[in-house]
Amino acid sequence: MFEHVIIGQYLPGRSILHRMDARAKLASVFFLIAAIFLTNSWTGYAVLGGAAAVIYLSSGVPFRYIRKGMAPIFLLVLFTFFIHALFTREGDVLLSLGAFQFYEDGVIQGLFIALRLLLLVFLTSLLTLTTSPIELTDAMEQFLSPLNRFRFPAHDVAMMMSIAIRFIPTLMQETEKIIKAQTARGADFSKGSLKDRAQAFVALLVPLFVRSFKRAEDLAYAMEARGYNSGAERTKLRQLIWKTRDTAACVLIVVLVAALFLLRE
Amino acid sequence: MKHQRLVIMIEISLMAALSIILSYVQFGALWAMGGSISLIMIPIFVIAFRRGWKAGALTGFIVGLLQLFTGATIVHPVQLVLEYPVAYTVLGTAGLFVTSRSFAKGVPYVSIVIGVLAAALLRFIDHFASGVIWFGAYAGDMPVVLYSAVYNASYLIPEVLITIVIIVLLAKYSPAFFRAPKTL
Repeated sequence: MFEHVIIGQYLPGRSILHRMDARAKLASVFFLIAAIFLTNSWTGYAVLGGAAAVIYLSSGVPFRYIRKGMAPIFLLVLFTFFIHALFTREGDVLLSLGAFQFYEDGVIQGLFIALRLLLLVFLTSLLTLTTSPIELTDAMEQFLSPLNRFRFPAHDVAMMMSIAIRFIPTLMQETEKIIKAQTARGADFSKGSLKDRAQAFVALLVPLFVRSFKRAEDLAYAMEARGYNSGAERTKLRQLIWKTRDTAACVLIVVLVAALFLLRE
Repeated sequence: MKHQRLVIMIEISLMAALSIILSYVQFGALWAMGGSISLIMIPIFVIAFRRGWKAGALTGFIVGLLQLFTGATIVHPVQLVLEYPVAYTVLGTAGLFVTSRSFAKGVPYVSIVIGVLAAALLRFIDHFASGVIWFGAYAGDMPVVLYSAVYNASYLIPEVLITIVIIVLLAKYSPAFFRAPKTL
């Protein structure tokens, strides 16, 4: 059932983008998303496209991975393009195909929106392709830590996320093992009536939950035995290190966003 | 007390991990249009009934963030927030309908079903609103309200029905899952 499943799309590597600080990458993507929505001119999109190309070249990610990430929205892009191209009836008629007429303004608007969607998905996929979930969690913990003042447990949430990420492969193996064991006992997950299949899934879920709750108890004892105390000031095993190039990248992004703001029409 | 808190925190982590794993388990391929039918909501409901709504909401929040960090499809900033963290956080509200006292006289099937339905309704409203907002931002004057309602209902209704069947069976066979002390 899980033979071809890969959870997450992180691609380990040594490129410039891989080695950048996760906080710098997260902040940059945030600014770039804002920039994508600010842009409304051809020059603006050309600048953004150029920036996206430079970022892509510094990532060392083979293009097929990007294409895979963009596949789910490809239909959506085409769909929104044609809706705009067909239903905006302003400007000159560019092309007339039977009942369909493509007006200039509609086509331009459709292209802008298609570009906007593609750039958004492109940049956000590059982030998750070059940054592991655990690094993103560490970065997020620091961005959320000001919320500690409002009793939002940023550290606890980050710790829970790290544990979840750590245990996804383990629990996946366990799920696979239970699926095989129950299949050997005659459970069928893909055939039969709704009720039969639901029963089969219950036979999978009951042992899975029992073992997970047991594991949670054991892990809590193990952590306490090693002196874990969630309230105390903690040091980190994985340190995020902010380098000069991260500052440089952030400055570049801010300059880019400012330039795009000035290029607005 | 402190030990109990740590156990709950780890249970939340493991349930979030299970949600992510179960999101890859497809329950049949009857409704194979875009939004797929998965068992992703089940661990969130189990922890919400077991440890209360706060634990459920936190589990949902973590599931949403994990989906974002493992590579989500982001088409609009509002959609990013609504479709991922918020959509699963609201599922925790199911825990409001079942307390440890509900189990005093047998398994409270009715409260469980109402809890799942109410939480799923919130998730539907959330996806619906997100659809209207971001699709509206892209599609101009299309009937976005109708489209968003039909599209989101098309996969959420079957997913919710299957989730209810499985949760009720779990409560029937292993009521002990839901009887833990509800503190967080």
